[in-house]
Amino acid sequence: MGTSVQVTPLSGAYGESPLCYLLAVDGFRFLLDCGWSDLCDPSQLEPLAKVAPTIDAVLLSHPDMMHLGALPYAMKHLGLSAPVYATEPVFRLGLLTMYDHFLSRWQVSDFDLFTLDDVDSAFQNVVRLKYSQNHLLRDKGEGIVIAPHVAGHLLGGTVWKITKDGEDVIYAVDFNHRKETHLNGTVLTSFVRPAVLITDAYNALNNQGYKRKQDQNFVDALLKVLASGGSVLLPVDTAGRVLELLLILDEYWGQRNLKYPIHFLTNVSTSTIDFVKSFLEWMNDSISKEFEQNRDNPFLLKNVSLIINKEELEKLGDAPKVVLASMASLEVGFSHDIFVEMANDTKNLVLFTEKGQFGTLARMLQVDPPPKAVKVTVSKRIPLVGDELKAYEEEQERIKKEESLKASRIKEEELKASHGLNAKASDPMTIDGSSSRKSSNAGSHFGANVDILIDGFVPPSTSVAPMFPFFENTAEWDDFGEVINPDDYMMKQEEMDYSMMHGSGDGLDGKIDEGSARLLLDSTPSKVVSNEMTVQVRCSLAYMDFEGRSDGRSVKSVIAHVAPLKLVLVHGSAEATEHLKMHCAKNSDLHVYAPQVEETIDVTSDLCAYKVQLSEKLMSNIISKKLGEHEIAWLDAEVGKEDEKLILLPPSSPPPPHKSVLVGDLKLADFKQFLENKGWQVEFAGGALRCGEYITVRKIGDSIQKGGAGSQQLVIEGPLCEDYYKIRELLYSQFYLL
Amino acid sequence: MASVAAALRSVGKRAAPGGDREDGDRMVITPLGAGNEVGRSCVHMSYRGRAVLFDCGVHPGYSGVAALPYFDEIDPAAVDVLLVTHFHLDHAAALPYFLEKTAFKGRVFMTHATKAIYQLLLLDYVRVSKASVDDMLFDEQDIHRSMDRIETVDFHQAVEVNGIRFWCYAAGHVLGAAMFAVDIAGARVLYTGDYSREEDRHLPAAETPPFSPDVCVIESTYGIQQHQPRDVRERRFTEIVSSTVSQGGRVLIPAYALGRAQELLLILDEYWSNHPELHKIPIYYASALAKRCMAVYQTHMSSMNENIRNKFGCSSNPFNFKHVESLNSIDSFHDVGPSVVMASPGGLQSGLSRQLFDRWCEDGKNACVIPGYVVAGTLAKTIINEPREVTLANGLTAPLNMQVHYISFSAHADFPQTSAFLGEIRPPNIVLVHGEANEMARLKQRLVSQFDGTNTNVVSPKNCQSVEMFFRSEKMAKAVGSLAEKVPNVGDSVSGLLLTTKGFTYQVMDPDELRVYTRAQLSSANITQRISVPYSGSFEVVRYRLNQIYESVEESAVEESDVPALVVHQRVTVRQDSETSVTLQWSSDPISDMVSDSVVAAILNISRKGPKGVRAEEAARTKEETERMAHKVVHALMVSLFGDVKAGQEGELVISVDGDVAHLDGKSGDVECENAALKERIETAFRRIQGAVRPIPLSAS
Repeated sequence: MGTSVQVTPLSGAYGESPLCYLLAVDGFRFLLDCGWSDLCDPSQLEPLAKVAPTIDAVLLSHPDMMHLGALPYAMKHLGLSAPVYATEPVFRLGLLTMYDHFLSRWQVSDFDLFTLDDVDSAFQNVVRLKYSQNHLLRDKGEGIVIAPHVAGHLLGGTVWKITKDGEDVIYAVDFNHRKETHLNGTVLTSFVRPAVLITDAYNALNNQGYKRKQDQNFVDALLKVLASGGSVLLPVDTAGRVLELLLILDEYWGQRNLKYPIHFLTNVSTSTIDFVKSFLEWMNDSISKEFEQNRDNPFLLKNVSLIINKEELEKLGDAPKVVLASMASLEVGFSHDIFVEMANDTKNLVLFTEKGQFGTLARMLQVDPPPKAVKVTVSKRIPLVGDELKAYEEEQERIKKEESLKASRIKEEELKASHGLNAKASDPMTIDGSSSRKSSNAGSHFGANVDILIDGFVPPSTSVAPMFPFFENTAEWDDFGEVINPDDYMMKQEEMDYSMMHGSGDGLDGKIDEGSARLLLDSTPSKVVSNEMTVQVRCSLAYMDFEGRSDGRSVKSVIAHVAPLKLVLVHGSAEATEHLKMHCAKNSDLHVYAPQVEETIDVTSDLCAYKVQLSEKLMSNIISKKLGEHEIAWLDAEVGKEDEKLILLPPSSPPPPHKSVLVGDLKLADFKQFLENKGWQVEFAGGALRCGEYITVRKIGDSIQKGGAGSQQLVIEGPLCEDYYKIRELLYSQFYLL
Repeated sequence: MASVAAALRSVGKRAAPGGDREDGDRMVITPLGAGNEVGRSCVHMSYRGRAVLFDCGVHPGYSGVAALPYFDEIDPAAVDVLLVTHFHLDHAAALPYFLEKTAFKGRVFMTHATKAIYQLLLLDYVRVSKASVDDMLFDEQDIHRSMDRIETVDFHQAVEVNGIRFWCYAAGHVLGAAMFAVDIAGARVLYTGDYSREEDRHLPAAETPPFSPDVCVIESTYGIQQHQPRDVRERRFTEIVSSTVSQGGRVLIPAYALGRAQELLLILDEYWSNHPELHKIPIYYASALAKRCMAVYQTHMSSMNENIRNKFGCSSNPFNFKHVESLNSIDSFHDVGPSVVMASPGGLQSGLSRQLFDRWCEDGKNACVIPGYVVAGTLAKTIINEPREVTLANGLTAPLNMQVHYISFSAHADFPQTSAFLGEIRPPNIVLVHGEANEMARLKQRLVSQFDGTNTNVVSPKNCQSVEMFFRSEKMAKAVGSLAEKVPNVGDSVSGLLLTTKGFTYQVMDPDELRVYTRAQLSSANITQRISVPYSGSFEVVRYRLNQIYESVEESAVEESDVPALVVHQRVTVRQDSETSVTLQWSSDPISDMVSDSVVAAILNISRKGPKGVRAEEAARTKEETERMAHKVVHALMVSLFGDVKAGQEGELVISVDGDVAHLDGKSGDVECENAALKERIETAFRRIQGAVRPIPLSAS
């Protein structure tokens, strides 16, 4: 039997909620993505919470909130502890996305769902892979191979191929078949008839125009607003689609020599671009070629200024400008603040480049017609002053005192306990000696005795003779003087490494921009003040699709091309999912599933397979015919066993004659050409090929179904005449007879 | 997994193909360069009709065609894949020549960083050698054209070309250096290129592949030498530099523009940062090429080690040196007071490093630090031995008072590394390349004793000397689809299509599912033929005639529109469609075609001659008579095959050949014979004779 495969959506099925799926392959449980919406609502993660501790591996596909946002929270609070697999850019940019998200939240609320440390520790056990790298899983997952492949959409975006016993399960969400300014199109179409394809129906109902035209419209829309003295806000993600926008803008500004400033404002913008600059090999071919030949890095971004706090933006005043600010949902963060400022002015434009997440401010503004006014909460973190500060300090003081009191109490108890032991041993001096020796072994007297020094005289109740510790200098001497340990004078490798690492602040894996770090490390007591207000939406609002996902038509053709045996649809509105489901079920013979959240479906393939060895003796008797990259032959063999393995041997008794098989793939159009070259009068008539006067060749049945199984059915008919046999001969010549 | 079947043998010339073994199982590895020498690395490997070339370098010691590897030993057109490990000239510089001037039409792969630096390095190489060499191997245009043909591969990324699967591991050595693993039909070869298992400031240590290759082609540059620990070397280096400059001397570091130079700059830059008192002393880096390559170093951080990546993550790019200035030419160099200058070339043959050397060599305060492997015949090699006098570039002799230090930062594996590496991956076959003959011989000896008793072969072929290995690979097939619904037991028979893809993967399947497993590239077909034959007589006559000729004529099971229909031998359906014609319909295959032809002939005979009287004898001809006839034919044919054949009782035939007697049952075909070989032959013969006597098998029987 085939490999058993079960899929359970934990979120993101029949709806546009974040992506998170459970995939079990022969009992090995993969978590496919671990997304969270910008709202960060823990109740969304309930299905995940139930299964998190049982997960064996996590595969991440894209570096944005919808695909990996819940990872730190799940690691911290839900007991998720499995190794995480991702490509290098997904890891880096994902980390930055989480930093940015945290900082945006933390600036306006007492955000406590996860901290930066949680983000760091969650990303610590990410195993980083390269595209097309076959990674063999060990232990429980023995025999499973995972490999990331290019997905398009976001930098490092991944289509995961999970292979067990030659059967492929492919997880491909948010892929893009189109080559973009900075990314290659997906390689999904190169996969050979996988057992299971898990894909999304997100864009099943959308169709896009031409990219070039779309880019032009986009830039035109911006320029129109800028020329009339308005500013443009593009709410974007932290390190995903924004890269494509930046490139389009930077290139266009460069070509036209435009002077309007472009600002890229996120908490981590400078480091984002720094990392992206070193990810050229993950981008499209023309970018890497350009770099190889001329060392031009498109992400040097000559026309974009990277800023990490709003003050710099405020300095510019009201001059026309383009601002790309993070948090596409406008929930919190820079985009939110700027929106509130800009919404009031009719000259301004807020241009959405992706569909807003469900239930967010961005989504509210994308409805048609847009609302006249929206209610927002404006929050700010301000330092404490006056009484509040005093109260805070007192509180801190109190906490500190309590802690130290507690600590000293614990120490006292420990001391008592140890002295209790001493008392039992009845000779405190010896004990002292041993402990001092121990500490000198450890290389430092100070560490061991620090308690006593600090605590001073805490008269141990049980001790007979309280005294300062005394350590005898036990230096050894030989003929050459004091014996030295050469190790003490060696510069150790670790020390070297330490000195190399010195000043690099090794705690954080990625870096936070200085400004943000200041903000974060700033220990000034602060609090959050917020007030609700209503914002009149007078500015223009627009939506242009720069999501970089394949549109409905392409998704359908990609699915038809890949022709999986079983198709699982997730992540798409109910209508989109149903639409795609109907479409696929109607047009091909594949099995389509669209599970609900927490519904487990079994997509174990009914294809069977077993492995056999081909004996030399058998193979020497087989004559294959070559057809392109394949060779085919008829095989008659008998099964034998050798070292527990099945082996095919030549048959011991003559095999029964088999039905002869014609092999080849005939296209009527090709055949027509072939006959014409031979000098026949050939024409298509009513779907059939009319050869000469009387003979017709037709194809029936399966020919329409591209991925369909079974063999081709051809009919040749005509009256008894010489031509009939000639045509038949030519038709046979198109096939191999076995 | 393939297993090595035979011992390795090394032959002077390539053995004639064929031989005692199947040619397909023979792997031949031939160094076209770097066999018992350092330089022009190029190793050719062929197996199962596929050919791979590893590296394509020139020999720095020669010029023109003499510097090339021995390409005429191979057929460049037959090479499928060329894999270049790193950008050094002795590994990559013959590539434009090979691509543009030979019949090679395969694909070329290298890592991203290698490709980026390759172009710069070769352009520089062409520019420099133009001045001195007349017969240039290639020009700038060739290099630019070669860039279009080079494809890039990332570390660990698996690529398949024409059945050759390969991927690469980080090799240390220089930025982008890779070791390639190639898998052809289960036989795995690891080609290390130049590698170093020691992590340094910016490069990772060479990875250890997590599998044991069948063959390991490994460098042997340092033979059985052992490096000093890195920290000791670094400390010596920084001490020499700082003490020299603090005494007012100048330090010259002749180094190749790329590779070690970056490492040394990282060391110096850091040392300067930690020692503010040195800040006023300038460090110059005199190489326009290296300056151009800096962008590559600043970009390909992902090919470097964790340490530098973390540094990058926390502060600005470490390759933005704070204390190093670049120097374009000696004219812009103000030689006042102490300074540290790193200049190329590393061998002090010519150029800036030589100019500075000539200027500084007489002053005892100055120092020259030689930081890597020096090629024999260069001035750098000469001064390591600290002669009293040296010859300057202008031909004059001058006393050598300058301090000369040799501190090797060369990122090649030394013996402990090589031995540990081989100990971990345990290849059954080791091929040594890239090392001087003496070093290589010593290394070979040490390795042979290290792996004594483990059935490991170590060879060190000279250039053009082939190493042959035989692998008996098990051919594993996968039975798929409906054919594989249940796993068969011993003795069951399996029949189906055997599909071989790209020469190595075998699948057994039902013919109808061919389309599924070849992604609609191939498919089985059924051709239904329908032919109408003019006939205006009664259908009953047709029925009668056919009944007489064929053993099986039945009424059609599927009645359509009340037209009478007959099925002959369950293959051909004969139906009277109209008053003037009958239609024959059948599904194409050789036997059915034959049956249909005879049916057509029979029907035509009826209409041509009109109804003919049926002779009584014919009608009375019994089945037994047919049997008798058949038996007679069998007998006659057996006699012609085996000679002494006697008819026994009840249709039995007694055949005697060379004293062996066999009894053949004329009906069932059973043979009784003590000689198994004879038995088999008689069975086969009988089967074929039966096939001729009764060409149309009765499917019912």
